[in-house]
Amino acid sequence: MSLAANEHFAGSPQAGSARALVIGRIARHLALFLSIIAVWELASATQFVDPLILPRPSAIIVALYGMLFVQGNAWYHMGITLWEALAGFVIGSVVGIALAVAAGLSETFRRYISPYVIVLQVIPRIALAPMIIAWLGFGTSPKIAIGALICFFPPFINTLTGLVNTDEDASEMFRSLGASKRQIFFSLMLPNAMPIIMAGLKAAISLALIGAIVGEFISAGEGMGVLMQRYSFALNMAASFAVLVMLTAVGYLLFVAMEEVDEYLVYWRSDARMAAMSRRCAKAWRAD
Amino acid sequence: MNAFSNTIVAADRARPAMAGGDPDIVISADGLVKTFNGEVIALDRATFDIRRGSFVSLVGPSGCGKSTLLRLVAGLIAKTGGELSVLGHGVSGPSSDVAMMFQRPTLLDWRTAVENVLLPTEVKRSATNADRRRAIDLLNLVGLKDFAFSFPRQLSGGMQQRVALARLLQTGANILLLDEPFGALDEFTRERLNLELMRIVEDVDATVLFVTHNIAEAIFLADQVMVMTPRPGRLARIVDVPFERPRGVELMQTPEFNGLVGEVRSILGGH
Ligand SMILES: Nc1ncnc2c1ncn2[C@@H]1O[C@H](COP(=O)(O)OP(=O)(O)OP(=O)(O)O)[C@@H](O)[C@H]1O
Ligand SMILES: [Mg+2]
Repeated sequence: MSLAANEHFAGSPQAGSARALVIGRIARHLALFLSIIAVWELASATQFVDPLILPRPSAIIVALYGMLFVQGNAWYHMGITLWEALAGFVIGSVVGIALAVAAGLSETFRRYISPYVIVLQVIPRIALAPMIIAWLGFGTSPKIAIGALICFFPPFINTLTGLVNTDEDASEMFRSLGASKRQIFFSLMLPNAMPIIMAGLKAAISLALIGAIVGEFISAGEGMGVLMQRYSFALNMAASFAVLVMLTAVGYLLFVAMEEVDEYLVYWRSDARMAAMSRRCAKAWRAD
Repeated sequence: MNAFSNTIVAADRARPAMAGGDPDIVISADGLVKTFNGEVIALDRATFDIRRGSFVSLVGPSGCGKSTLLRLVAGLIAKTGGELSVLGHGVSGPSSDVAMMFQRPTLLDWRTAVENVLLPTEVKRSATNADRRRAIDLLNLVGLKDFAFSFPRQLSGGMQQRVALARLLQTGANILLLDEPFGALDEFTRERLNLELMRIVEDVDATVLFVTHNIAEAIFLADQVMVMTPRPGRLARIVDVPFERPRGVELMQTPEFNGLVGEVRSILGGH
């Protein structure tokens, strides 16, 4: 019934004016953004700001265009950095979640590992980067390791928090039904922790990208960090900014992708997804 | 002091040496004790028998051990002393003859209402079409015909408790333990659900142990009211409720009913 009410709302006259409001808001944001760019362009063009410090937006766009479509070198370096970040993310998250599951299930294990985890958390982990490079050499693997190391913590601590905070009444309810530990874990604890695990993974993916770039700063022959360093040392600030724009775009896309995964997996936190799932479920049930 | 001075046995019959004497007694406790951490006495020497098919209310102030007693019967916690048997067997863990419903709905947010109702079945085996049909029927029974495929967050608190009630019935258990099931709901919803609960358990022919803070509610629903007093948790008396069934809400206006409310209140006040 509530579903029908929602559908009704979408087609009602109020929906039209709501859309107009949204368009108006977007227009205002766009206007502000374009004015900032225009002021910046002017300040740089009139030498009010030294273009060596803040290059003109138009120069940044030209550099961006060049790197993407003329020389085309950005794709290759971006691929390297993206691979390092994703591999670091996967390794860090898998290790973090696996340790958290073990710690969440066994209080003894939790007690034993917690001092190490705390130490690992308070170390400025990025400071380990040069040592990791000394250990692993100059390829992509040390960058992956750095990414994994610095992104491991949010998935770990979030998974542990989620598992430990299982609702006491709900687990009694499961036990009263004669459920095994394994059933309680997979049917209650894990789905219950899912939203907070996903929040940890969202934080981790940004950290893994940072890890990859820091690794490239320290020692690398390729990757976006290398480009950034090369252009900045050459005082080619427009190209440096272009690298920054590309990294921002990639970071944003990774984050949005994680949001999508989150929305897909944790459907019960989104009204729209819940409505869609309950329609699908109703159809599947009517079928048999 | 006499060890049982505060414990009044329901019927002063000769107690069989072993549980399982009278087949009509489904829950039997004798000097049942539960202490937490070796010092907090949550339940002090409770002795009672509950007959098959009866509706027994458990009333008493907060902290007097009502939930503790229910969790003992459900096999969720182990007793510290005394005897406790269900259907003639000592309680050693959760059993499929006993099902429990909690104050909060404890539904799984990621499952639709009907999937929540199916949970007790799925814990044991994979659900068949017959199980699914039964789950839908039970949702109809609790008045949620149109909400079988809604998720808990799309339902009101009262509707969520109805789903929990359907899930309780899906277990097929005939001993139902309800721990303040409607305590968190407003008075109107609560009264409606109480009436429905009464109708439903008469249909399914179950033995019910129902915890509440509310004396009138306890009497209205039950064949017997177990009155408990706190610190330490004691079963002070078991009061028989003589009113005919089916009962309507008018019953609560009668002097006999209010006399019984006064009696229970004075037992609680005297401690
Ligand atoms: N797990 C536990 N550990 C220690 N003490 C406990 C535990 N569970 C209950 N108790 C104590 O046992 C006593 C009885 O608790 P219980 O939950 O049975 O009371 P209750 O009658 O259900 O109260 P309420 O009406 O508030 O739910 C209380 O003093 C409580 O503090
Ligand atoms: Mg309680």
